[in-house]
Amino acid sequence: MSILTSLRSTRILKFLPLVSALCILVGITWLLLLPLDDYSRRTYISENALLPGQVHTYFGGSEQDVFRAYRHEVTALGKNASADGSGVMAEKIRGIFEAFGLKVGKQKFEYTTAGGVYAGENVYAVLQAPRGDATEALVLCAAWINTEGELNESGVALVLALARYLKRWSLWSKDIIFLITSDSRAGPQAWVDAYHDLHTPPAVTSLPLKSGAIQGVVVVDYPTSRGFESLHIVYDGINGQLPNLDLINTAVRIASGQMGIRTTLQEMWSHDNEYKDRLRTMLRGMVNQGLGHASGPHSSFIPYHIDAITLQAYGDGWHDEVTLGRTVESLFRSLNNLLEHFHQSFFFYLLMAERRFVSIGTYLPSAMLIAVNFTIAAIGLWLKSGRLNDKEDEDNKSNDGKGSEEKEGLLKSGEKAPSADEQPDLVSEERPLLLSMAFVVAIHFLGFIPLYLFNNLDEKNFTRAFYVFTLLNIALPSVLCAIFTKSFAPTSLHFTLIKCFSLLLLGMFLSALATLNFSLSFLIGVFASPITFINPTPKRKWTVGAAWMALLQGLTPTTALVGVALYWGEPLSEILKEAAFGWRVWGMWTQVVVWCVWWPAWIIAGVLVAGSWAVEA
Amino acid sequence: MRLLSWPSITQLLLAPLVVASASEYNDYSENLLLKSLPGNSVLASFRFVSNGTFDSHHSVFPRSLAQILQQSQTKELHLKFTLGRWDAEQWGRQIWDGRTAGGTGVELWAWVEAADDSEADARWTTLNNALSGLFCASLNFIDSTRTIRPVMSFQPDGHHSPERLERLHLLHGTLPREPVCTENLTPFLKLLPCKGKAGISSLLDGHRLFDAQWQSMSIDVKPVCEESGKCQLQMEQTVDMVLDVERSLGKKDSPVPKPPPIEHLSCDQEKPYAGGDSCFPLSGVTDLPWSLSEMFGRPIRGSCPLAVVPTEEATHVCVNIAEQRSIFVSQGSEERKKSPELRCFILNENLDFDIILPELSPSTNIPLTPPPLYASRSLTGHGQERGGIQAVLNNPSSNSTVEFVYLESLPWFMKPYLHTLSATISGKDDGNIIQDIYYRPALDRKRGTQLEVRLRVPPRETVLLNYEFDKAVLRYTEYPPDANRGFDIAPAIISILDPTSQKSTFSIRTTSLLLSLPTPDFSMPYNVIILTSTVMALAFGSIFNILVRRFVGADEVLGGGLVSKIRGRIMALVANRRAGGDKPKTE
Repeated sequence: MSILTSLRSTRILKFLPLVSALCILVGITWLLLLPLDDYSRRTYISENALLPGQVHTYFGGSEQDVFRAYRHEVTALGKNASADGSGVMAEKIRGIFEAFGLKVGKQKFEYTTAGGVYAGENVYAVLQAPRGDATEALVLCAAWINTEGELNESGVALVLALARYLKRWSLWSKDIIFLITSDSRAGPQAWVDAYHDLHTPPAVTSLPLKSGAIQGVVVVDYPTSRGFESLHIVYDGINGQLPNLDLINTAVRIASGQMGIRTTLQEMWSHDNEYKDRLRTMLRGMVNQGLGHASGPHSSFIPYHIDAITLQAYGDGWHDEVTLGRTVESLFRSLNNLLEHFHQSFFFYLLMAERRFVSIGTYLPSAMLIAVNFTIAAIGLWLKSGRLNDKEDEDNKSNDGKGSEEKEGLLKSGEKAPSADEQPDLVSEERPLLLSMAFVVAIHFLGFIPLYLFNNLDEKNFTRAFYVFTLLNIALPSVLCAIFTKSFAPTSLHFTLIKCFSLLLLGMFLSALATLNFSLSFLIGVFASPITFINPTPKRKWTVGAAWMALLQGLTPTTALVGVALYWGEPLSEILKEAAFGWRVWGMWTQVVVWCVWWPAWIIAGVLVAGSWAVEA
Repeated sequence: MRLLSWPSITQLLLAPLVVASASEYNDYSENLLLKSLPGNSVLASFRFVSNGTFDSHHSVFPRSLAQILQQSQTKELHLKFTLGRWDAEQWGRQIWDGRTAGGTGVELWAWVEAADDSEADARWTTLNNALSGLFCASLNFIDSTRTIRPVMSFQPDGHHSPERLERLHLLHGTLPREPVCTENLTPFLKLLPCKGKAGISSLLDGHRLFDAQWQSMSIDVKPVCEESGKCQLQMEQTVDMVLDVERSLGKKDSPVPKPPPIEHLSCDQEKPYAGGDSCFPLSGVTDLPWSLSEMFGRPIRGSCPLAVVPTEEATHVCVNIAEQRSIFVSQGSEERKKSPELRCFILNENLDFDIILPELSPSTNIPLTPPPLYASRSLTGHGQERGGIQAVLNNPSSNSTVEFVYLESLPWFMKPYLHTLSATISGKDDGNIIQDIYYRPALDRKRGTQLEVRLRVPPRETVLLNYEFDKAVLRYTEYPPDANRGFDIAPAIISILDPTSQKSTFSIRTTSLLLSLPTPDFSMPYNVIILTSTVMALAFGSIFNILVRRFVGADEVLGGGLVSKIRGRIMALVANRRAGGDKPKTE
């Protein structure tokens, strides 16, 4: 009874906003502490079978001459050989693969999204493991056109040369699939969908040739014919899923330890391994994870529980295709050692340098604390809404003036509480649940409108639609509030309950999301954190309301979208196109979270602020 | 040159059998067939046939095996150890009509004489355990969950009297995960009369055998009766393997396939960039030279003196190569040319025998005979809850419909839904593809699923056979070591039926599959997570309870139903009484 009473007591209730604020503060500070040596850990190889860098590599010598010949062939075909859907590229590559005695398959695909058509043809060859039984496979992939839209001339040639070279080894325990996709975005997705027979014929055709369960994927991206300086390891998957940390560690260890190539992450081309660079790497990783888009051809594999990375050659330096070829050779020798699927190391981690990481146990509390702040605020509002109005008025008075006196009184009442059963603040008022709940649910369903709109519009109209939507979005809370107050004449209790339910939902969604996509949950949590402190009771000057409204308008999903466009330096329509493409082709869920979780919470916050004017007027 | 098709070669090579059964004393014969395959591969097929009886003390039939068969009342036995996959697209039809090859791993089926099912099961267990010891294989792991009783797929090969046939029980078990290795070869060779010391079996060396692209060892024991009614046991041991010539020979120079010097590469000089530092390699179009001693590491050490005296038909070594290719053999052997493409040799008992084939350019292959059916099978879908299986069955024939039985033996934790079973030709099912289904559902932890489907594929058509299944969650002790590897699913067995007799004439195995089941994290963090989650759930539950529950005294409830009112009254009355009764005592 004593806990109960103390929880019900106003003293605790008054502390709750403070607790919420503390949660947010601790959550953000927690994240900022992670790059410190005491909170992050050095990476290590968890799966002993991998034995990275323990083998001699022999790629080179005459293989380099062969590689150059293939690069000439690739350059001669040019960038458009895969784009026009004529299948010139696929036919040429098929001929080369067949000359090695490999089995070759081709696959045509065509996606239509946001008015655009993405078509192409993938070609792949299967190196059947001698004595193997087709139960397991590895994939070595290169996209004809890389993520930046350049011709991946050396990457494709390297895959061809390696296919010829690796075939001579008899030690493979798994089949190796050499895959050349016609682009970096739709091609890999079409191929991996069809491999698991989850494609949609006839737009995406079935694969004529299959092997076993794919254990690992390495994508080579080397778009120049010059030497490179460092190896950029890209690892983000769709919806923020990540490959097993062991795969990244193996690649880092082989590249930097065995081959002497510097490795970089998250486009941090220079990294001094100090706090600032670590934090920047981590934040860039979080933005990529939060957006949930495909960061390379490897991303499409990750939702199928296939661990995949892209090795990107970056800069001008003295490393050449032989070094990269040897890296891939050594990496495949390591993957070949695997007895089990990757499972030993972490699937949830934040990397802050190529050899430094934090695992989920360490970083999760920060996003959870932010999500919990909403839940605490919601519980507080629920308890408060149950108390009688007159008592509430008293509380308000105490808020305004003579606080210390009242506090003393409250302390006394707290002490008395166990004995006094008929204390007024324990008698609950009936809460008008139906209207408040219906309103919150309705606003959440309203989120499907922008979700549908931005996923189905034609790409030509994206910019215009976005501006119209932004304008509507500014006015929407006030309009909704006006309609709501006019038609239902809500009391301040209604507003309290609306806020309570909205925050409860937000807290629930975000804490669930934090376990799936930490970054997205954290970012949305931070953007939405002011919502906790909006006071739904309309006893304020209109200037406070206006200030709140201005703050809210600065934190809308639309502003975030503009922010993303600025961050990437791309026009808005491109971002929207990418989002629509991601929804249709990759199965990206970021939009759902933005439009059906964050945006409704924001709208409700806006309605609450506008409500303070409406009721006052 | 389509003079010789596989069946006719089979007949030629089966000839010694006929001789053997005719003559009582010559009860052992052996022969080796070497056949060149496209892509610089060579198929080597060793065949050893011995006859004998249970009670004979001086026959070549191995006594160790005879005793096992007698003990377990096994009348016909087929045991296969296979590694790798037969690449039908490149190598064509399988040798011996696929009868000697099993699925990946170990496959065993036998006809056991027993009065009822339980007796048959007991004898089957006896047989498995004994064979497990004899062949150093994990055959004792073939328990009831891995045993099926096929109905349509297998027919006995041997001669059984009709009365006995009624008492015979067919049991079939597979171990798809069993790695076949040298330790299985040694007991296999020990069953031979010459034990790998002389004759063609002297070529069988573990290093070479297990470096093959595909390799299969099989033992088939069956009763063979003469017209006079005299019956003998016949054991046929075969070792088939496909060797990659390039790799076998490459091992000689260097165990590591380092890049060859640039001078050794043949470059395409017609490319515009040719001559500089670029070399577009021309594909190897020559038949590489090889010899028996290079491929197997040693020549044949004479002939086995216990084998049947060779005749015109019964020869020791046959080579099936293109007519254009010349062939050199060591001295002391006799050649019998059976056809331009099939050259056979009789070995000298005391001299080593070697065959040398020189290089031939351009590459010339003997025409391939396609198999009656191309079959491949793969898993569909992803996730740990459910999945599907898709078998692609293609009939290459241009004029004849092929009819066959497709047999799946699935473990119990893979629960197929029969209603999802569909057979389609280019997306349509005309209702004529599936002829018959035999289905025996699984019982958890007791037996697996057995699914036999009789299908008919029209000429030049491809049938897609699909079905879906649920994945069961295992108890944590039921996971094998290396649990995250997944579970091997035995290859499907396809028995092509003769259109008239409905007997199996050819058999094909698909590859095995790797099924991933929901696997717990068998590590310390997992236990910690479970424990902390439990504590947190308890804490959350109690706090939530206190938060949302309103504690009110029973008498404070306003209104309430009639029952509670009455109960309240009674309670009040009792309380009053007690209070009244207590008073005198305290005073």
